[in-house]
Amino acid sequence: MPTIFGVQSTPYIVIIMSNRPQNNQNSEPVITITSVSKAFGFRSVLKNIDFHVQMAQGVCICGVNGAGKSTLLHIIAGLLKPTQGAVKICGLDVNSEPKAKSQLGVILHKSMLYPDLTVFENLLFFAKLYGVKDSRDRVKELLEDFGLLPYRYDKAGVLSRGMLQRLAIARAMVHRPVVLLADEPFTGLDMEASRYFISILDKFRAGGGTFIMTTHNANLALQCCDRIVVLDENHFIFDAETSQIDADRFIENYLIYARSPD
Amino acid sequence: MNYFCQSLWAIFVKDIVTELRSKQVLPTMIVLGMLIVYVMRIVCEAPSTSTIVIGPAVLWIAFLFSGLLAQERSMAAEEQENCIAGLLLAPIDPGTIYIAKLFVNVIMLCVFEAVVVPMAFVAFQLSVADRWIQFIIVLLLGNIGISSIGTLFSAMVQLTRGRGALLSILVLVILMPMMIPATFALLALFSAIPIKVEGYGALAFVGSFNSAVGYMTAFDAVFFVAGWLLFGFVIKD
Repeated sequence: MPTIFGVQSTPYIVIIMSNRPQNNQNSEPVITITSVSKAFGFRSVLKNIDFHVQMAQGVCICGVNGAGKSTLLHIIAGLLKPTQGAVKICGLDVNSEPKAKSQLGVILHKSMLYPDLTVFENLLFFAKLYGVKDSRDRVKELLEDFGLLPYRYDKAGVLSRGMLQRLAIARAMVHRPVVLLADEPFTGLDMEASRYFISILDKFRAGGGTFIMTTHNANLALQCCDRIVVLDENHFIFDAETSQIDADRFIENYLIYARSPD
Repeated sequence: MNYFCQSLWAIFVKDIVTELRSKQVLPTMIVLGMLIVYVMRIVCEAPSTSTIVIGPAVLWIAFLFSGLLAQERSMAAEEQENCIAGLLLAPIDPGTIYIAKLFVNVIMLCVFEAVVVPMAFVAFQLSVADRWIQFIIVLLLGNIGISSIGTLFSAMVQLTRGRGALLSILVLVILMPMMIPATFALLALFSAIPIKVEGYGALAFVGSFNSAVGYMTAFDAVFFVAGWLLFGFVIKD
């Protein structure tokens, strides 16, 4: 059998078991992606993607620029409609059932925050948009949890990149989502901010949350996820649990691949 | 219904607070409107023109261009930091976003008119006598028409280059049918023309003040419903 990124595997192996000592392997997947394809004009970005994620699993989608990672994440979030196929979150179709969106917290490249509103006002606005009960209490709770209390009267536009990212995560979690989607969350963050984000992901997963993130950074992916998939030229070329991966060989081979994906 | 009102109110308040902080729309609207009134007043220095006839035209031009400016800014603010995605990710109907933005744009125009209309009254020596209520109704119908189309099209063109120019072209062409009864209504209120006009031409086609208000109401209703239903298709994908 060939070796891909340091793991003996068929060219495309599908392992949907989590390495966490749980639990939910027999339960319905939290995220179900069935035969999803996406094309922009004649250019196919994703082709027949089938993908399932179990509860409390952390999945990282790796791949070079243009591989389709962000497109897939946008489709899961319901921001893009697939050309064909369906995405279900907790059994609800993300494109036709608005309740599916209540299950999702999303962090994108840009913060999706209003620079002229204060930290408190931004969180309160999104809490109300999601119909959170006792929204003020929830916002105060998030401000404390994310260390944003001293900045609550500051406008979002004046925050540092690290603080803005904290606020973006708090915004994504304001309605207590079941699934967190993060597109390149480490971009522009220093080591401390990256570690902070990883600790948030760990806490989120420990509470039963599921997350999918995209990143170029294989090292960070190994640190915080239990499953890594590699997307290349519109389909998955690799899918394995981190417990099965030889970290050093994976990083080495991934870097070689990333430099010359052809 | 309660959730609909709550999310609508949240977007409405957010837009108002954002504008009060950034002061990007209203000051520009007011300056542009005052400039148009001032320039048109200079035009009236010509001996053959009547200020009562030109006044309504000046007012609608000012409302139209300043309204477009507000609506373009309103959607551009959502594009900054990809905030529109934040709204679309929430489990709300896109129509709610449309109605909230429409309300904000109508209120912006009302505030703008509160400043520019008195100025135009003085500059053009206009008077509506005891027909203030009719005057306010006509302005409100005009504001709703301009805003319902402007809000929809500003969302549509935000993904294209040369946004402002494209918005102006699209909106002005579609608003043209409403501008005829709107101008008729103001001309009648300022006593520049009779309440009923017979004969040929655009004004005679409208016929009377009551039919002008009727046309404007129908126009507003059609484009309000169209905007509400189409907004989701416009801003997604």
